[in-house]
Formats: sequence, structure tokens, C-alpha cells
Amino acid sequence: MRIGTTAVWLLVAADLLLVLWIFLTSLRGGSDILKHGFSLPTSPRFGNYATALDQGGFAQAALNSVLTAVVSSLVAVVLAAPCAYALARRRSRTSSALTMTFAMGLGVPGQVLVVPLFVGLAKLDLTDSDLGLALVYVGLAMPFTVFLLTGFFSGIPAVLEEAAVLDGAGPLRAFVQVVLPVARGGLITAFLLQFITNWNETLFAIVLTNSQSKVTLPVALAEFVAAQQFNGLDYGTMFAGVCIILAPMIALFSWMGTRIIQGMTVGIGK
Amino acid sequence: MGRTAMSAGRVVGAATAVALVLGVSACGSSGSGDSAKAGGGFTYWSMWRSDEPQAKVLTAAIADFTAGTGIKVNVNWVGRDIAKKIGPAIAANQAPDLWDESDDNVYGATASAGQALDLSPVLEMQVPGENVPVSQVIPAKYFDMEPKDPSGGTHYVIPYEVATNAMFYNAADPAITAAMPTPPTDWAGLLKVCDALKAAGKACVASEGEDPWSNELFFDYLLNGAGVNVAQLAADKSGAAWDNPAVLAAAKQVDQLVKGGYLIPGYDATKYPAQETNWASGKAAFYMDGNYVTSEVAKEVPSSWKMSSLLPPTAKVPDATLFGFAIPKRAKHIDAAEQFIAYFMQKKEMIGISTTALNITPRADIPAPAELAGAQQALNSPTVRQTFDGAAGSWRPKVLDQNYLDFWHGKTTPEQFVAKCKADQVSYWQTQG
Amino acid sequence: MATTIQHPARADRAQNRSARAGATGVGPLERQRRRTFWPFTAPALAVYLVLFIAPVGYALWTSLYKWDGMGAMQWRGLKNYSLLFQDPSFCTSLVNTLELMVIGGTVTFVISFALTLVLREMRARLFARSVLFFPSLVNGMVFGIAAGFLFSPSGPVNQALRLFGVTTPPKWLSTDNLLPMVLGTLIWTATGYYTSIIMAAVDQIPDYFYEAAELDGAGAFQRFRHITLPCAWDVISVCAVLWTVSSVKIFELILLFGGSTNAFPPVSSWNTALYVYTEAFPQGTVPRLGMATAAAITSLVMVTVITIVLRRVLRREPIEY
Repeated sequence: MRIGTTAVWLLVAADLLLVLWIFLTSLRGGSDILKHGFSLPTSPRFGNYATALDQGGFAQAALNSVLTAVVSSLVAVVLAAPCAYALARRRSRTSSALTMTFAMGLGVPGQVLVVPLFVGLAKLDLTDSDLGLALVYVGLAMPFTVFLLTGFFSGIPAVLEEAAVLDGAGPLRAFVQVVLPVARGGLITAFLLQFITNWNETLFAIVLTNSQSKVTLPVALAEFVAAQQFNGLDYGTMFAGVCIILAPMIALFSWMGTRIIQGMTVGIGK
Repeated sequence: MGRTAMSAGRVVGAATAVALVLGVSACGSSGSGDSAKAGGGFTYWSMWRSDEPQAKVLTAAIADFTAGTGIKVNVNWVGRDIAKKIGPAIAANQAPDLWDESDDNVYGATASAGQALDLSPVLEMQVPGENVPVSQVIPAKYFDMEPKDPSGGTHYVIPYEVATNAMFYNAADPAITAAMPTPPTDWAGLLKVCDALKAAGKACVASEGEDPWSNELFFDYLLNGAGVNVAQLAADKSGAAWDNPAVLAAAKQVDQLVKGGYLIPGYDATKYPAQETNWASGKAAFYMDGNYVTSEVAKEVPSSWKMSSLLPPTAKVPDATLFGFAIPKRAKHIDAAEQFIAYFMQKKEMIGISTTALNITPRADIPAPAELAGAQQALNSPTVRQTFDGAAGSWRPKVLDQNYLDFWHGKTTPEQFVAKCKADQVSYWQTQG
Repeated sequence: MATTIQHPARADRAQNRSARAGATGVGPLERQRRRTFWPFTAPALAVYLVLFIAPVGYALWTSLYKWDGMGAMQWRGLKNYSLLFQDPSFCTSLVNTLELMVIGGTVTFVISFALTLVLREMRARLFARSVLFFPSLVNGMVFGIAAGFLFSPSGPVNQALRLFGVTTPPKWLSTDNLLPMVLGTLIWTATGYYTSIIMAAVDQIPDYFYEAAELDGAGAFQRFRHITLPCAWDVISVCAVLWTVSSVKIFELILLFGGSTNAFPPVSSWNTALYVYTEAFPQGTVPRLGMATAAAITSLVMVTVITIVLRRVLRREPIEY
């Protein structure tokens, strides 16, 4: 047991050191990093961040990432919540068939959808557009969000709406005014998980966007790395870019870590 | 009740927020779409990112062009992924009016499928302010080396930057000048230089062991020296071309580099640009790459460094990679795009590629930056060839790359390498079509 | 709220029972639910059909054609599929995908269980769990970039190994080791995630089970075999399916681990996702959308079959407590 505990702490230390190293490296000069991958910044160069944000295009990319991730996650939750609620409450053959249909989507890998979605969006003139990308993310979010929220609504006692309906409230009002407030926790979790997924999503972002004014952070990073051929790469700036991708995840995780973990894990245990 | 009312209010608020954000993002995208379609202008997708020096040169030229002609240019700095995106964009009818890439990518992604416009009319156009046609300033040899598109043309890319691949070294390094008083004239001579370097405690060749392309250049040049055309080798569906004894001989010469221990130790255990960095800090003598390597390491090498280059000794013809403009057949504003190409061919615009971007231009009257004088000299050769003789597309990743890496890492013999390539090439061609 | 989230499974089962019990008499609430069912589900369903199901159908259709995306589509029938299996790079991709799935899955689960057992009896377990969980929130590309430094011949990993007396460490970054490295990274990032899932399940096992077993003289391993494993079985089988599905989706990790310039990583490290990407968005050649979608459909079929088999094999009577 002692060995196991030590191993766990070593692993924990390695994880923390890795993040620390990435941060420290983002404050160093490019050629310095290439020569000595591991040393402390002699004098912290916060200028790397300015360069990354401005010339590296990471500021625009971060804005695009935030916009697409927030909008698509919000829309996904708004669409999925009533659906999940109806599926959770109504027990009929149609209902379980629909639940199954949504659950099946969980098993579809993104590479199946990438070509059709590209062709389809191109027809609508929605490639290289954050709106198009957000739309795709809403679609991709449906199976998981419906699945998660169905489980969640099932856990809310039906007594509440029964009382509301007896009071003469319509179904929509009962849902919006009685159920949703109680379900707030689940909705926030669903939103957070979707936000995290979209923030890190790379395959569709690479395929669907290309101009520097439209790309999201993962694409900006990939493109930035690719440009090292022909013109060399400032590794300090690149690590600053990595930190820009990591920072919101670290912030979110330290703020609502427990909720994220519970949402990503317990929702699964069904 | 008060509580539920408040929640309802919040829900409405959230819904409004969603609607707003959606609306804003929709406006944003439609707005830019409109400007792209504005009359009198054209769209240009570039292989450069806006922070790269080439982009700065092009941006300046675009500003001059718009000021002079009133034609607006809508630039999209796509970056290197453009080679993967242009095909799908054309497919989706969203092709730009102008784009740029290296010649092999222009050919592979568009010209080979008949999707690149014949730019012969541009060659007839006058270079603004110079009173000569474009064909006068861009040497014909650059078009002669290009593979033909389905209609038999080779004028599908007009270059503004050229590069050649060679073994780069620091001519101011005493260890290198001692080991190589004069450039070697045959392969054995090169190995002798390597031996001398090894004795002096310096690795001969720095190689990014994970990168197939730059390492395959040795093989490419050796095949060229032996009179084997790589494109023809690749195009042979029966694989019989690999039975040519000259191919095996070239592989054996490569093997001498590998087995002789002339490659920098640990080359197969690092990721780019670890070995390029080692080379730039003097741990190895030669580094095989395109001449843009001088820009890649510009910030790392000391000021005493004197960049020189040589071809693998037996090579007959230097290779050239063109970076240039191309127009998709489905482009909507061809005239404007063609005008811009001719405009950028002016000495006063193109010179920035040399002075700002520190690279070589196709115009012989624009001197290359000092460290590339030797490379420009090589390109002055009456004929040039494409890297791998233009063998493009997925042949390299699917047939050559993996086998070559195994070979380059010393895991297979020359015979096994050739046999494996032959077998893979046969199955490769079976799955094309 | 946390407790509500924590027990959806059981609450659901309870809800099920009560709903079934109440379904005999159709009350006003039930009538209302029936009436609102379609208005409530329709928007999500429509989005799902248009952006998810239809594309799958379209992929299936495209996979029967030869198409470069630019010209006309040519009917090919199932020939794309037979070509696919003649293509050595697809076979490599398929084998790699399975390797990531099976080896990665086994190792991840073994480690996750071990970690769960250790974490159970540790101080600051929640903190440790959080840190271990975090890598699953990080974009795979970050690891690809970091690996070039961490595993370089004179990098920290080798220096740490030297402390333990390893003088000839493996050539981590050699292209032969690409897939094992990807696998290792995958396991490392996934372990925290699966540990958290299993921990949550194990935490719900009542303590008196263990106390009783201990009184009966059961050792740590026996307790694990006879209590932990059966009680957490439900969750494990779900995890297995989850892993199967998510291991097929790996993309950016390989893309940036292998390709440090804008070239594709070497074929020996491809999985089916990468194969699809390289066929549909190749560099310097025309797209082959028929082949790309055929490869995608093949991997979909593979996932489906494996999932069904897994569900069958892992099905046990759930233990109620």
C-alpha cells in the first residue's frame, strides 16, 4: 500500500510539474528553449504572450473559441433539456425508441460525419464560418447532452410538477418554472461538459475553418506549429499559445472541478 | 411564487442572450461574406500566416496594387494547411480567385485534376513599369520541369520564390574547412570528408530521423546522379522499375551513410527541430534541407556563421521548388487575379522576398541574400528539376516514407528496402484508380 | 444538488417503478405529458436528424462512389470497401485502432482499478484524484508538443531514469515508438478519468459489506474480487463501451505527435480517423471522398459490432443494495 501511495503521489507530482514547466517555458526565449529544454526563465518574457495574442493570432482564435464553444453549448442545452425531460417522463415505446436513437449517436466516431458535414455546410456557404462550426457542435452535442439530461431529469421527483399541474399550470409553465430551476445543477453540468468538449475539439475545427480570422485555438496552434517549416518557430510564443488553451481549463477545473468530475463520471454510471 | 417568477425571468434573459449572440455571430459571418463578394476585387488565399515575412511583403504589394488599380484584394492568411483545404474548397465551389503554394502542391491538389487555370496569358502580360512581358523575367526552365496537366500545359503556377535543396554547412567552421578543402566530386569523396570530420570529433550529417522528406533527398539526388527519374519510378504500376540495378546501387550508397555512423548520434530519437538546432550550434557539419533553412535558423546561428551549400556529389541537376501563384479554374475574378500576379512580378515588389523574407526569387536580376548566394548560383543551372522529379500525392506517404524511415534507421538492408518499396508500390497502384 | 447528480442510476430505477405503478390510471399529468411529448422532443430530434443521422446516411451513400469532390460522382458499389482492405495503409490503421482500443483499454482499466484501491485509503484523495483527472481536459496536441522536449535523449525522462540506473533508455521519439508513445499518453490521460468513474461507483458500495468480509477474514484481494468487482460491474461494463467508442475517435494526439512539420505522421502511427482525414483532405493530391467515407463507415461498423459483443459479454445481473 505504501508503494501504491508513493506511486500516486509521484504521478500527481509529474502532472503538476508538467503544467508548471509549460508555464515557465512560455516565459522564455525561443532559441534558449531549443538549446536547453529545461531551465528557469532568466528574466520572464511576458512579451511572448503579447506576440502570441497579436501576431500569432491567438487573441482572435481565443475569441472564436469562446464564441463557438459558448453559443453551441448553450443552444445544445436549450434544445436538449425539454427533449430529455419529455423522454424521462414519458414511458412509451416511442419514448424508449427515441432514447435509444439518441444513445446510438454516442457510438458514432466523428470521422464518419466529417466529410458529409463538410460537403453539406459548403453547399450552404457555411464553411470557414464560426456559425457553421457552432452548428456542427450543436449537432455533435445532441446524443451526449440528451443522454446526460435524461438521466438527470429521471432523478427529479415527479411530485413537483404534479403539484404545479394540480395548481392549474400548463405543461410549458410547469417545465420552465418548476422543473428547470430544480434542474439547474444538471443543466450547468451539461453546459460545462459541452463547453470543455468544444473548447478542445480539433478534427472538425481543422476541417471546417481556415482563415486566421475564423479558426479556433486548437487550429491556430496546429497552424502555428506548421509554420515552423520555411520560417522557423519561436517556441516561447508557441508555449504561450499552449498556455492560452490550457488556462480556461485550469481555471474552470479549479473553480468547479468537483462538478465537472461528477458530471463526466457519474452521468456515465447508468 | 416570487422565486419562480424570478427564475422565469432568468430563463427569458438567458434565451435573449442566446438569441443575441447567435444574431451577432450570424451578422459577423454574413458581413465578411459580403465584402468577399464585392465587385471589382478578388479573394486571395495565402500559404503564409500574417505574421510571416512573406506575408508582410505580399501585404505591402497588395496595398500598392490596390492604390494603383483600385482593385481590392481580400486576403485570407490560411497558412500551410491550404494545400489540404484548396481541393475541398474548390469542390464546394468556394475556391478563391488566387492562391499560392509550392509547385508540387499546386499540381497535386489542382492541376493534376484539371482544376488549375492555364496562366499562359499572364506570361504575355507586361510587367508594370518594366516594359517587358512576364515571360522575360521568369525563366522558362522553371515551367519546363513541371509535370503536364490533363490538357498538356505547365503554366499553372507563376513563381515568386524558388528554393533548392542541398546540404547546408558553415563555411567559417575551421573543422569543416580542414576536412573539406575542396568540395568532393564523387560519393566516396563525400564519405572521406565524413571520415575526416568524424576523426575531428564532429558528426558529418545532422538528420531529423523522424522526417522522411528531408532524408529522402539524399536518395533522390543519388537516383538523379544515376540517371533514374523518380516520378517514372513511382508511376510504374508493376513495380518492375525498382529492379533497376541503379536503384539498388543508390540505396546502397545511402546505406553507407547510415551504417558508416556518419549520421549524428541519436538522430532517430528526436523530433524536429532538435537536430536542426544541433546543426546550428555546430554539432554536425551538414544539414540537408531546402534553402529556407537559413531563415529557419536565422535567430540561432552566431553572426560568424557563413552559410554555404553543396549538392550530394553525383547529382547532375539541382532541384527547385517553386512557390507561386495559381488560379483555380472555377475562380470568379480571373482578370483581377491575373493582373495582380503580373503586378507582383515587378522587381520593386518581388525584391522584398529577398530583402525582407530572406529567400531567393525566380528573377535572376534580384540578388539573393548573402547566405544564399551559393544556392542561387546552383539555381542558375540551365536546367532544374523538381524534387523527386515531381512524384507527388500520396505515393510518398504510402509507399516510400515508411520504408525509407526503416531503412534510414538501419533496420532494413538496401535489398529489403527496395523489395518492400516494390511490393508496397504494387498494392498502392491497385488501390488507386 | 450534488447528491441528486450522484444517484441518477438508482433514482431512475425507483422512478421507473413508480411510473409503471402509476401508469394504470391515466391522470391529467400523464395526458399532458403525452400531448407535450412531440413539441418538447421535436427541436432536438430535428437537429439530431439533420446534423447527425443524415450525415451518417450521406457517408454511407458516398462510400459507394468514386468522388474527388470536384467532378462528378462515379458509381462504384462496394469496390471502395474491397480496395480499402487491399490498401496496406488502411490495414495498418485498422490494426493500430484495435491496438489502441484493446491494449490501451486493458492497461487503463488495470491501472484505474489499482489507483482506485490506493486512493480509497489515502489522505487528500480528492486532491490527488482531481490532479490525476485534469489531463483528460487537455487537448491532445499539447502532449504531442511537450513530448518532443520531455523525451529527448537528454530530456528529463531520461535523466530521471538515469537516477534509477537506466543508462541506455529506449529511443522514445523514434518513429517505431510512435504508436507505443501515443498509447502511453492515451493511457496516462485516460486513467484519471476512468479512475474517477470507478471511484464514484466504488464509493457507493456500503461500508458494512467490507466490514462483514473483514470479519470473515477476507484479504484485500478477496474483498476486491468478491465485493468491489461485482458491485461496480455495471459501471465497468459501461466504461468498457465508453472506452471502445472514444478510443476510435483519437485524432489530434496522433496528428501532432507524429507530424511535427505540416506533413502527415508516418503511416505506422495512423488510426482510422487519420486515414479518413488523409484521404479526404490530402496534401498535394485530389481528395478521395469515396474511400474516406468507406473507411469511416468501416470503423463505425467495427465500433458497433464490438460494442454489441461487449454488452453481451459483460452483461450480469445488477446487484441492488
